[in-house]
Amino acid sequence: MGLIKYLHIGRISFKNNLAYKTDFLVGSLFIALIIFILINLWQTMYADRAVIEGFTITMMIWYLVMTESIVTSPGRVIEQMGDEIRSGDIAQKLNKPYNYVLFHYAESMAKSAQRFVLTFLFGGIVTLLLIGPLTFNLNHFFPILLVVILALTLHFTLMALISVFALWLEDSKSMHFIYQKVVFVLGGMLLPLDIFPDWLASIGKSLPFSFIAYFPAKLFVGFNWNDFLILIAKQIGWILIFVACTIIVYRISFKRISINGG
Amino acid sequence: MVISIKNLTKTFKIKHKKEGLKASFFSLFKSHYKQLHAVNNISFNIKKGEIVGFIGPNGAGKSTTIKMMAGILFPTSGKISILNHNPQKERKKLSYKIGTVFGQKPQLWYHLPAIDTYNLFRRIFEIPEKEFKERLNRYIKLFEVEEIVHQPVRKLSLGQRMRCEMIASLLHNPQVLFLDEPTIGMDIIVKKKIRELIRKLNKEEKITIVLTSHDMEDVEQICKRLIIISKGKIVHDGSMKDIREKYLSKKRIVVILQDKVKEISLPGAELMYRGTYKHALEINTKETSLKESVKSIVSKYNVEDISVLDPPIEEIIEEIYQR
Repeated sequence: MGLIKYLHIGRISFKNNLAYKTDFLVGSLFIALIIFILINLWQTMYADRAVIEGFTITMMIWYLVMTESIVTSPGRVIEQMGDEIRSGDIAQKLNKPYNYVLFHYAESMAKSAQRFVLTFLFGGIVTLLLIGPLTFNLNHFFPILLVVILALTLHFTLMALISVFALWLEDSKSMHFIYQKVVFVLGGMLLPLDIFPDWLASIGKSLPFSFIAYFPAKLFVGFNWNDFLILIAKQIGWILIFVACTIIVYRISFKRISINGG
Repeated sequence: MVISIKNLTKTFKIKHKKEGLKASFFSLFKSHYKQLHAVNNISFNIKKGEIVGFIGPNGAGKSTTIKMMAGILFPTSGKISILNHNPQKERKKLSYKIGTVFGQKPQLWYHLPAIDTYNLFRRIFEIPEKEFKERLNRYIKLFEVEEIVHQPVRKLSLGQRMRCEMIASLLHNPQVLFLDEPTIGMDIIVKKKIRELIRKLNKEEKITIVLTSHDMEDVEQICKRLIIISKGKIVHDGSMKDIREKYLSKKRIVVILQDKVKEISLPGAELMYRGTYKHALEINTKETSLKESVKSIVSKYNVEDISVLDPPIEEIIEEIYQR
């Protein structure tokens, strides 16, 4: 019964977002442009070899399409939630019988779904035209979908957790910036972690950020059921840890909220 | 007792920056905090069906009090009981029984028609469909928003949007309604309409209403009871009639004349402002009759426009302090 509320929040958010369809389109087209640049870059890298760290060029580009689509689709959650907490606009959400963070989760997942499809579509078209298709077994569609949903959930949970610190810091933009760069590098959005020196790769693989981009995208370009099961177990594990942190931090910090305007 | 507040205090810590480069540099390592008593040891009770106005200048602590009553802010000390709930501990439970409208913080989805938000609230507040439809239709008629609720909220005027906001807060049949600055930024005609609706809600639906405003007229026209709050303290708690007799005996008469007059003179009146065409006088209605004064001005001078105003709330508070 309780969860139906959040489904409806997601639905109305989906509808509301349609007003931003041009923004979404432009954003996704921009990612497609980045994919185009990356294709050119990697083509020079692959000029004298067929495989780099187990990735063929086809795998590499499809890997990047996947990481870009996952990481960019929720948008600026930290800025939005952080500003709402800091400015006191949160007041209008706290007086309703729902959980504040879950409200934003529903909202964010609706947005992510819309943007993920667009970005993956545009990035995919560019890749398909310039590089060619990925060998993908349609039986793996639902497992990959599940992995992507869990990746977006983990992504959101981390951002929701970071947002609370807007109460202490003056600016949530900088937090968004730092988090984004960490995911870019240690999450494996820019490069598969295998390309890094061993010590850095193993740091990246043991941190939660790689379960947002690196592992899901690697599974997408080279599926195997064993890896899939290990991945979702670890993703769920990380999500549970950060959900617990978020609950604790929000409980403590809500007492500190000062709402502006009188 | 629907609302019971006892020794409520809220202190904010505010970062205090000293002037100068040197001080700015040191503030990087150690911040100085100033204590601000937004609400300072206030107590009051509100009975079922009452309609109470909180009034005070900006920053007096009225919104802070309302937000603590709604469970959104945590008090530094003191006790709050709303419908026998502790709003901080039972915020979710309480949210089914109270409604809140914040004039400056919209709850309707901006790009969608209000009706979409209402349908969402039906799910969020778990309102049975039949009851929901009945209530929605009644409010749509009462607030005269038949067509408006089907238009995207962003296209509505301020007054139309406020009416839609109020419906959103009423759908789950709250027993208490908190209105924080419901008329802020509206013109006189729209204000009048909103005030009328608030009065109707209290009278016909028997909803206990607490509202804040910095507009004396709001409270004068809507509320039977008035709590004046200034610098976090209650400076007066009593019936509207009381206040009017005690403090609103002074009236301002502002006249715009058609001819240049050096000085407008009227027995028993104090001259407040002297311009070329515009003049302002203040009278005490206990000593001088307002009717007679207006009559005498109109007969003596060539009047283009005349209006009678209450002194601003700040002056009333000052007067209360002086007594």
